[in-house]
Amino acid sequence: CVSRPTRTAPPTAQEVATGEAWQRARHVALEGATRWSLSGRIAVSANGKGGSGRIDWTQDGDRFDIALGAPVTRQSWRLSGDATLARLEGLEGGPREGADAQRLLQEATGWRIPVGALRDWARGLPSTQATGGVETYGSDGRLARVTQSGWVLEFQDWHPATAERPDMPKRIFARSGDATVRLLIDEWQLVAAGPAGEAPRSGSDAVPE
Amino acid sequence: GARDELNAFTKGLKGLDGAFSQQVFDPKGKLKETSSGKVALSAPRLFRWEYTKPYPQLIVADGKTVWVFDPDLQQVTKRPQGAEEQHSPLSALIDPGKLDAQFVVKEAGTDKGLEWLVLSPKGEKSDASFQSARLGFGAAGLEKMQVVDALGQRTVIDFSGWKRNPAFGRDVFRYSPPKGVDVIGEGG
Repeated sequence: CVSRPTRTAPPTAQEVATGEAWQRARHVALEGATRWSLSGRIAVSANGKGGSGRIDWTQDGDRFDIALGAPVTRQSWRLSGDATLARLEGLEGGPREGADAQRLLQEATGWRIPVGALRDWARGLPSTQATGGVETYGSDGRLARVTQSGWVLEFQDWHPATAERPDMPKRIFARSGDATVRLLIDEWQLVAAGPAGEAPRSGSDAVPE
Repeated sequence: GARDELNAFTKGLKGLDGAFSQQVFDPKGKLKETSSGKVALSAPRLFRWEYTKPYPQLIVADGKTVWVFDPDLQQVTKRPQGAEEQHSPLSALIDPGKLDAQFVVKEAGTDKGLEWLVLSPKGEKSDASFQSARLGFGAAGLEKMQVVDALGQRTVIDFSGWKRNPAFGRDVFRYSPPKGVDVIGEGG
């Protein structure tokens, strides 16, 4: 898929206003969906090391469950937990636990993924767990870039809104110094937070083109 | 039994070229992913997995380095070829002698019209990348491979259209990254 034209001129006042209105509407829509999941691909690199694989991320309030599968064998490992404890399973040496999911993953694999902040960034929102936060909007009125906590996230492609959910990011390239995280999201599922037991009203996408 | 099928299939086998379709099921048995493409293998340790659906991805092992190219992510990952490959049941295909050296091999009878071998890792449990693997043999030789990894995720690969000892082009098992793509990792 062709990434969007990189822009040189700063966004006009009108573009900023449209973008902010678009983002406010998304905030409202996404606030209700405390249960969501994405599936797609991720490529990570930091000081010359890294890898790529399948990613399936399920979030339920503060509880997260991230499964990563290697190419071909799909040998998988799993990072799960909540706001206070993270657990990493499937790697040699058995399960590991720690308070900080990002550090746990980095110590075990060398992969540097800002797990806490990515929970918001992946959904095209500035992260409440990151400092600062400059949002830049594109000429199409959608979020083009977020700069936070030393990370610059380029939102290169979007899944258009459906009846169940607003526009959602499809391709995100993030960089912080020498580290890069590239996320290509093939499918989104958002479950509005209904009373327990309510059949999940999920909006999922067609098979990627 | 399946062992005889394996021996018949691998006798005089130096290379293979065919198509595959792959399904991945999560530990609860839910289908997570369906993909397909072409696979080529050449003794002793060259292989090429070319995924075309649902999106392109290329994995090439040139004997020294394993290259993984994700066009949509514009990234190539390379790593020295080594342990991981030895632990993959597929490597045993081209070098059946390795099968018994690496795995505990048991006949598992007939199921769904195929004769099955069950492989479980030998040696230290944790360094194998999978809990169990099964190879299913039919009239066309190896037709199905199932691998359950340490977390209980199951990958099922169906093979078809095998060509035995094809004349491979010079660059089938070679890879050089295109311009404008990030290449990361060691080796190569």
